[in-house]
Amino acid sequence: MTSTSHPLSKALGWGLKRKLIVSMLMVGVIPLLLGLSMAFLQGSKEIQVVSGESFQALATEAARKLDLLVAEEVARTSRITVHPDIVRALEHRRDALHTSDKNAALPALVQERARWAARDPAAVKEITGNPTALLLQGFYAGAQSEPDQLLPQVVRAATKKLFVTDVQGNLFAALTTTPSFAHADNVWWKGAFNRGVGQLYIEDLHFDEQANAYVFSISLPIMDSLRYEVVGVLHRVIDAKEFFSPSTHPIRFGKTGHVMLVDSRGTVLSCPILPTGVRLSDLSLIPQVTAREPGWVTADSDGHGGQGTAIIGFAPLPETSRATNGALEQGGWHTFVWQSSDELFAPIRHLMMWMLILATIALGLLATLGYFAASRIVTPVRRLQEAARLIGRGELQEPIQIHTGDELEDLAIEFNRMNTQLEAAFAGLNTQVEEKTQEVQYLQKSTDQVLDAVPTPIIMIDQKGLIQYMNRASQEALQTQDHSWSGRPLFDVLPLDEDHLQALRRDLRLVEGHTASAQPRLDSEPAQKEARDPLNQTHTQASSSSRPELRIGSHLYHYEWFPLESRSGAGKRFGLVLRDTTDETRLQDQLIQAEKSGSLDVLTAGIGHELNNPLFGILGLGEAIQEEGDLARAKGYAQDIVGHGRKMAAIIRDFTGVATRESKNQRVPVDVTAQLDQALAIVQTSHDCLGLNVQKHYVAVSPVTALPDQLRLAFINVLTNAIQAMSGRGDLWLTTDEQDELITIKIRDNGPGIPKQHLGKVFDPFYTTKGQGEGSGLGLTVAQRLIKKFGGEIRLESPDGQGTTCVITLPADKAGVRKEEPCVSP
Amino acid sequence: MRLTLTFVRARSLWLALALACASTYSSQAKDVAPPTGIPPDKVADFVHAVLDADRTIYTNQVVNRMQAKGIVSATEHWEHENALPLPAQFLQHSGKLVAESGRGIRYRLISLWPIYQRNAPATDLERKALESFAQTPDRPFTGIVTSGRKQYFQAVYSDRATSAACVKCHNNHPLSPKRDFALHDVMGGMTITIPLD
Repeated sequence: MTSTSHPLSKALGWGLKRKLIVSMLMVGVIPLLLGLSMAFLQGSKEIQVVSGESFQALATEAARKLDLLVAEEVARTSRITVHPDIVRALEHRRDALHTSDKNAALPALVQERARWAARDPAAVKEITGNPTALLLQGFYAGAQSEPDQLLPQVVRAATKKLFVTDVQGNLFAALTTTPSFAHADNVWWKGAFNRGVGQLYIEDLHFDEQANAYVFSISLPIMDSLRYEVVGVLHRVIDAKEFFSPSTHPIRFGKTGHVMLVDSRGTVLSCPILPTGVRLSDLSLIPQVTAREPGWVTADSDGHGGQGTAIIGFAPLPETSRATNGALEQGGWHTFVWQSSDELFAPIRHLMMWMLILATIALGLLATLGYFAASRIVTPVRRLQEAARLIGRGELQEPIQIHTGDELEDLAIEFNRMNTQLEAAFAGLNTQVEEKTQEVQYLQKSTDQVLDAVPTPIIMIDQKGLIQYMNRASQEALQTQDHSWSGRPLFDVLPLDEDHLQALRRDLRLVEGHTASAQPRLDSEPAQKEARDPLNQTHTQASSSSRPELRIGSHLYHYEWFPLESRSGAGKRFGLVLRDTTDETRLQDQLIQAEKSGSLDVLTAGIGHELNNPLFGILGLGEAIQEEGDLARAKGYAQDIVGHGRKMAAIIRDFTGVATRESKNQRVPVDVTAQLDQALAIVQTSHDCLGLNVQKHYVAVSPVTALPDQLRLAFINVLTNAIQAMSGRGDLWLTTDEQDELITIKIRDNGPGIPKQHLGKVFDPFYTTKGQGEGSGLGLTVAQRLIKKFGGEIRLESPDGQGTTCVITLPADKAGVRKEEPCVSP
Repeated sequence: MRLTLTFVRARSLWLALALACASTYSSQAKDVAPPTGIPPDKVADFVHAVLDADRTIYTNQVVNRMQAKGIVSATEHWEHENALPLPAQFLQHSGKLVAESGRGIRYRLISLWPIYQRNAPATDLERKALESFAQTPDRPFTGIVTSGRKQYFQAVYSDRATSAACVKCHNNHPLSPKRDFALHDVMGGMTITIPLD
């Protein structure tokens, strides 16, 4: 059995085992408790019902018994009332009162009352010694009764007063001197007299001071001999306790169960526990137990001063109640049967206690059995849990052995199968990982070797500018120690001045910005080429810091940033390539210098040559004119001189076009088409263009921003080139077009074309295919320079045998106002 | 005190009535006066007829029907048992009401075997009347009785056990002195008393 304090169970709160035990206990306890409480409630209820009905039956029976007791006593007393002598005496008294003078009777009555009150012996003798009184005494003593109708000793002892009144309520006969004289105003007398009809009247319990006891009274009318009307009233006062206790006190059951008699006001007539004369302790109980019909109630108090549920049976004394206080409606007498609730519910409490003890034992057994059952379930589960943990670590060596024959065994089999499959899968994966790792290491090594072998310094940095990698060439260039560079900021390592560092940073930022659009940086290239124009060096030279070059020690490097692929999540990485251009730059500078000086030689020779020929012509013709006498011929020579002069002027114009500075730098929007037409017109005037067929295909194009004279000059040079190539005869196509804010001008001839080997040199200064004196070799150079100045491009296309096409593109000026300036020839 | 009882047969009623009317304190009548008003035996007869009819209706149409249908029964202590009064009680209680009204006429049930002693015969006339019913149960017994100086006309009519309830109750009551009544037996009589002065 595994230990109960498993670390995992602790961490999770309640373990499976405890839960199982608690579940079993709950399954046992809840129905048990429910059953017990139901049994208790139901049992209590049934005990109440059974006890209540028993009490009611007992109360009814006791009521009947007491009723008979009272009825018997009434019957016994009534024998006096029917005694003929008494009836006759009272009839006589009635008649005497009826016939006597009323005026005389009243004082006599008053006098008699006074005498009785004063215990006048004559008066006393008159009342206690008259025949009726003697009859009463006989009755009381038993002398007047039949042997079977003797007054029982109990009754005799209980009788406190016995007297007879006449029809007017005055004392007529008495046993003793205790009764008072006049009773006509007494309730009992009125009740018994009942307007002469007469009826039994039983008075409720009250305290009689003369008898010094709680008493009730029976008042019986004495009817005349015909039973027609009342002639007197017999009144008998009885001590309630003495009268009833022999009947009620023996009725006892259990320790506390007993019967008591109460009157309609809840006053106790007789009770084994309470004294006679007290009222029930709980007044609210009185209406419940003085109902007109027998019954039982569950009350909150027992009437004996005890609190708590009490079951009380009650029943009225049927016959007696009719006479109490004159009528049933005035309240009757009731028996009251009660037993202490402690005693009443003792059996069920004992039962409950026993059941609780047995339930506790049963729960103990349940807990023990639950513990063992839970252990049987939990042990294999724990083993499975342990196995799962081992599988997770890959440490499970032996298959799990569980033989419970249920789902847990199936689960163990599945675990074993899973473990086997996982092991197989992991084995394949390990091999693959090893292979891939080797491959990666090999690749890395190769890359390092390749990078180290490259003479170009290559540096890689991360997004913060910290150096991640330097190849051997860069280490040598920067003269850093082995790995002392690792993790240091690149800009601290580079021995550069602030300008260059800023340029470097700016370019890095550009690359950073461009990585999103992935556009390479190309803008500085044309400027570099333009800088090589020997004639325009000062104008186009960029400052040294704007060039992607940096000088480290004696070496000049051309640098270039490039973005590097970075792992997802990691920051951007960038590479810096430094190309050593020290030798290259020196060579190029030398070349340019040589070209410059060469060009000057050619220029000088060209100018000299160009101007020499017409000059010699002019000289020769001038000499001829000097010698020529014929005026007409002299004029012909002069015409030739003018022709040579014109040629020279043209040559000089060409030169000035190259050399002169722009007189005006104010650029304006220029209509390309108009300038092209003007240029054509100028060219046509200065060349023999008889065989020229010009075809124009213009479209409406936007103006360009330029200096109109210089643009026109560029067109003139190109047109001149074309017309000269066709020797003044052939087809010339002029087309304009606008697309993507670029205006394209095409000038095409169907001349012999330009050989491919010359296409690359046509824009070089003084390069010409024409003979000496035919062209300066500067026309296209000037045209190219001007076009570029206006932000455009010019190129020549010359497919074999299809003439030459000059394509000029200029940026359109959409916003500009179309504004023509007057054409000024240079 | 002198008590004079006069026993007369129904046939000699007139004589008795004449005597009663002529003199208040004499049992001897010298002259025969012409009849005025309704003779008391007639009055008693009327009253008895009414009482008997009422009680019969109550017995047959109320008590018997209710008991037969099981709705409510008639018991002696009807007040305590949510029941109907017994037919005899019906008559007794109505008699009490009449007496209490002060009209003078009274009636009650009497028996030689009363459950309660108050219902025993009070006078010789009553006793003789009850005894006479053994031979002539269908003939009322009448007479003039005196109480002291007061004179009353009394008529006693035999009373039979008209329903099983009467027999059952009297045979089973613990205070009943006779317990072998059968249906239609004469169980007692009804006394109707009419004051003559």
